[in-house]
Amino acid sequence: MQTERIRNFSIIAHIDHGKSTLADRMLEHTGAVQRREMRDQLLDDMELERERGITIKARAVTIEHEVDGETYQLNLIDTPGHVDFSYEVQKSMQACEGALLLVDASQGVEAQTVANAYLAVEQDLEIIPVLNKIDLAHSRPDEVAEEIEHSLAIDASDALAVSAKSGEGVGAVLDRVVREIPPPEGDLDAPLQALIFDAVYDEYRGIIVYLRLFNGVLTKRAMTRMLGTGKVYEAIEIGKFSPNMTKCDELRAGEVGYLVSNIKSLGDVRIGDTLTINKGPEVEMLPGYKEPVHMVFADFYPTNPGEFEALRDALETLSLTDSSFSFHPETSDALGFGFRCGFLGLLHMEIIQQRLEREHDMDMIQTAPSVTYMIRKAGGEEEMIRSPGQLPPRDHYEELLEPIARVSMLVPTEYLGNLMQISVDHRGTFVRQDHLSPTRVQVEFDMPMGEIIYDFYDKLKSATRGYGTLNYEVTGFNADDLVKLQILVNGDEVDALSCIVHRSQADMRGRAVLKKLRKEIPRHMFEVRLQAAIGSKIIARESIAALRKDVTAKCYGGDITRKRKLLEKQKAGKRRMRQVGNVDIPQKAFLSVLGGDDK
Amino acid sequence: METSRTTSRERQTAPDIQRPWEIPAADGTPLYVHVPFCEAKCPYCDFFSVAGEGQDIEGSLEALISEVERRGPRSPRTVFVGGGTPSWLSIDQLERLFGAMQSRTGYRDSAQEVTVECNPESLDEEKARALVELGATRLSIGFQSLRPETLELFGRVHGVDDSFAAFQAARAAGVAAVSVDLIFGAEGQTVGEWREDLTRVLDLKPEHLSCYGLTFEEGTLFTRWLEEGRIERIPEEEELELFRATRELTSTRGYHAYEVSNFCLSGHECHHNLNYWRNGPYVGIGPGAASYVSGTRFGNPRSLEAWRRGAKGGEASLPWSETLNPSHRLAETWWLGLRLAEGLDASAAREHCGVSASEDLCLPEARQLAEEGLLVERGGRWRLTGEGLELADAVSGRLLATGLA
Repeated sequence: MQTERIRNFSIIAHIDHGKSTLADRMLEHTGAVQRREMRDQLLDDMELERERGITIKARAVTIEHEVDGETYQLNLIDTPGHVDFSYEVQKSMQACEGALLLVDASQGVEAQTVANAYLAVEQDLEIIPVLNKIDLAHSRPDEVAEEIEHSLAIDASDALAVSAKSGEGVGAVLDRVVREIPPPEGDLDAPLQALIFDAVYDEYRGIIVYLRLFNGVLTKRAMTRMLGTGKVYEAIEIGKFSPNMTKCDELRAGEVGYLVSNIKSLGDVRIGDTLTINKGPEVEMLPGYKEPVHMVFADFYPTNPGEFEALRDALETLSLTDSSFSFHPETSDALGFGFRCGFLGLLHMEIIQQRLEREHDMDMIQTAPSVTYMIRKAGGEEEMIRSPGQLPPRDHYEELLEPIARVSMLVPTEYLGNLMQISVDHRGTFVRQDHLSPTRVQVEFDMPMGEIIYDFYDKLKSATRGYGTLNYEVTGFNADDLVKLQILVNGDEVDALSCIVHRSQADMRGRAVLKKLRKEIPRHMFEVRLQAAIGSKIIARESIAALRKDVTAKCYGGDITRKRKLLEKQKAGKRRMRQVGNVDIPQKAFLSVLGGDDK
Repeated sequence: METSRTTSRERQTAPDIQRPWEIPAADGTPLYVHVPFCEAKCPYCDFFSVAGEGQDIEGSLEALISEVERRGPRSPRTVFVGGGTPSWLSIDQLERLFGAMQSRTGYRDSAQEVTVECNPESLDEEKARALVELGATRLSIGFQSLRPETLELFGRVHGVDDSFAAFQAARAAGVAAVSVDLIFGAEGQTVGEWREDLTRVLDLKPEHLSCYGLTFEEGTLFTRWLEEGRIERIPEEEELELFRATRELTSTRGYHAYEVSNFCLSGHECHHNLNYWRNGPYVGIGPGAASYVSGTRFGNPRSLEAWRRGAKGGEASLPWSETLNPSHRLAETWWLGLRLAEGLDASAAREHCGVSASEDLCLPEARQLAEEGLLVERGGRWRLTGEGLELADAVSGRLLATGLA
C-alpha cells in the first residue's frame, strides 16, 4: 500500500465516554470482524480489561475503508482513558498522525479529555472532535461543542455526532479520518527506522514487538538491530493486526505491525527504542518517550518468603508488557524481602497487583501506597525517601519535603462549594478557576500528592455525586511540618504500617488506622495492643481482646471430617497473613493506612 | 488434602480402588445406626433428619434393614442407635430393626454397650421396656432445656414434665444407664438459671450427662435467624461462665468430665463415643451416617431417596469420602484425643498411624503450646490445661496447621 493511502490514528477520551465501543463499531463497519465474531470490547483482550470495562494497554488494529472508490489502510491504535494510563496514551500517539477526540455529549468535557487532548496537541496530531452518545435523551451536543472550544481551543463547529452504541455516524467518522488526517510522511527508500511502541510476552514465541515504521521497509527474515539496547535479532515473523495478528512478508514506512524474533530475554527490548536493519546505514534514534513519572509507591512481599525469586520473575515478565512501573528490592523488619514498586497511580497499582495474582499466581502482601518524600540535610544535600522506614531520625535532616501536584478538576457548577471545601481539607492551595460553560467549571489546586492518594479521589466523587473528574501532574516538592506516624503492635513497631503525615493530621490518622486494624486483625489467644506514636509519644491506642472461649461443643463420628475441615479452613485463611512477633496480621490490614470509606 | 468425591467416572477409571461401601469392616467394629425421623425438625439441629409425618417410614425401615444386612459389622463392641429420634419408631418397627441387627451382627452377645437415643415425647415405660428387651443398656434422653420458653425457641415438641416422665420411664424399665442431653447458652439464659436447671437434672442422678454449648451450625434455621438478626448469640464472657459453671457443678456432684461436653459417674463413659475421640473405626448405617473403615472415612447420602437406592443394592453415589495419609491421620488423632480428659498417648498414636517421632509435626507445636500453658504432658500423655480446654479449637487449629504443613 502506498503511504498516501495509510492513516494512523488513535482515539482519545475520558473513561466511559465510549472509546472501546466506537472501536468495535469501526471494526464492524469495515468488515474487519464479522458480526457473529463480534463481542464487546474486542480490542480489550486482557481478562481484567473486560471485567472492569476499561482499557489498560494500548492495542493496534488495521482496518480497510473505501472513500471515493479508493481503499485506504487505517491503523487504529486503541488507548486507555484513565488518568493513570496517560503514559500508554502517549505511546500510542507517538505512532499516529491524528486522533479522534471523543466526548460524551451528555457528560461533556472531563479532566482526562483535557489532559489527553493536550498530549495530542503536544504531538502535533490532527484532532477531529467527535460527540458520542447523541442517542441519549439528555445529550447536549451544542453545549459540549462549546466546552471543547473553550477548554481546548479546538474548533468544534463541525464536530461529528455519533452513537457508538447503534453505529450511527461511524461511516462519516471513517471518511473524516481519511480526508483530514495526513498520511504518514515515510520514505520507502530510506533506511529502516521503526518505533517500538509496545511489546507483549508470548510464552511460545517470546517477546512480540509492536512497531510503527517511519522510514524504509522491513522484510521477513531481515536481521534487525535495536539502537538503544544494541541487540540484533532476525525478523522471524512480521505481520499486521486485522484485528488478529496476520502474517505478511513486508511492513512499509507508515505502517503499523508486529515483529516476532523469539526474543526471550526481557531486558533486550525497551519500549520507545528505535529498530533498524543490522549493519545498514546509520539512522537516528526516533524521539523517545517521556520517562513515566511514578506517583505512587507500594511494597509487594511474597506471602511465602520462599517465593521472593518467583516474585522477581513475575515482575520482570510483567514489566515488559507494562514498562511504566518500576521495582526495586526492599526489606522490611516485619515482612522480610520484597519489592518497592512505583506506579503511575492507584488504579495502575491495583491492576499490577491483580495481574501478578492472576497471570503469575503470586500470593502477596501489599503495603498501603505512599509517595516519595525528600529530606534536605544541613549542607543542602537532598535525599529521596521512598518508604517511611527509610526516614532517618529527626536530627539527621533539616527539612522533610513532600511532592506537590497541580490538580485540575472539572465539576458541575453546583458542586463548586463542596469541591472547595474538600480541597482545603486536603491541604490544597487554590490556583485558579475557569467557567467552561454556565454549568461547568474547571478548578485548579496545588495539593500534596500524599493527600490525593490518601482518599481525595473518593472524596471528590462523593462531594460531586460522581460528576467531578480530576487530573494531576506532579510539579515539585514542598517542605512542611511532616512527621512519621509509627504503628506498634504489642509494643513493636511494624514498619510496613508506618506512614508520613502532616502533624496537624497525625492524631486523626493515627486513630483511623488503629480503628481499621482493630477490625482486620483476628482475635488471638492473648490481648493484642495497638498503638500509634510519633517518636516516643503515644497518640492513640486500641486493643483486641483475647479469645476467651473457642471450643467445638459437639464432635462425633459423623462430624469429624467436616469439623476438622472447619479448623483447617482457619488455617487456609492464615495463608494471607503475616506473623509479626506472635501476632497474625492479615494482608488487608496492611492497607489500613489508606483512607477512604470503611469497606 | 486427600479428600475426593466418589463419582461414577472415577470408579470407571480406577476399577482397582474399592468402593468405600465394599471395604469390609473388621469383626468388633462399632456400629452406628441412624434413624432419620423426628416428630419435628429442631431449628438448631444439623444432623440429617426429617419430620416423620407423611414419609414412607416402612420403605426407609426396609432400607435400613437391607443396609444393616449388607454392611453391618460382625460382633460389634458397641452399638449406638441415634438420629433423628429412634424412639419415634413404634415398638414393632424397633423390633424389626433390632432383629435384623441381631441376625446380621450378633450384637447381643458382643456389645458391651447398646445406646438408643430417645426424646421425651416418644419414650414411655412400655417403649423403654421394649428397648431393654432388645438389648439396650443405655437410653439417652434429649431434655435440652428445663425452661418452657427455651423449649419453644428450640422447636421442641415436649414439655419440661415430659422429660422427667421419660426419665422415670427409663428408670422403671431398669436400663443399666440413663443419659441426659442439655443445651446451654440460649439467648437470655442467666448463669443462675442454668445452675438451677443443671442442679435439678443432677438430682435425678443420671449415670451420664451431655451439656452442649449452643452452636450455630452451617445450614440450620438458627444460623439463618442469627444472620437475619431474629436471634442473638450470647456474649462470649457469658458463654464462658456457663461452660465453667457446668464443669464446676458436675464436679462437685462427683461427675467426671471425661470429654469437652460429656460427664459421667464412675465407669459410665459412653464407650461408643470414646471410640470416636480415640479415632477408632466404625460403621455407620442410614442416611447421612459416616463410616470409618480401614483408614477411609465416607458419608452416606444426605437424602432419603439417594440413600435408599444404595442401601438396597443400587448404585450408591456417596457424597464424600477421604483417605488420609499417615501424618494427616496423626494430626487428626491429636485433635480428637485432646478433647478427652485422658488426653492423647502420642507414641501409641504415632505407632498406630505408622509415623515416627521425628516425623510427627504436631509434636514440636505441642511442646510450644505446653510452654504457653495450653497443653501439659505427663507420662507420655498430652492433655489440655484448663485454659487450653476453653481454647481447644484454637489449640487444635494450630496442631492441625503444623501437622498438615
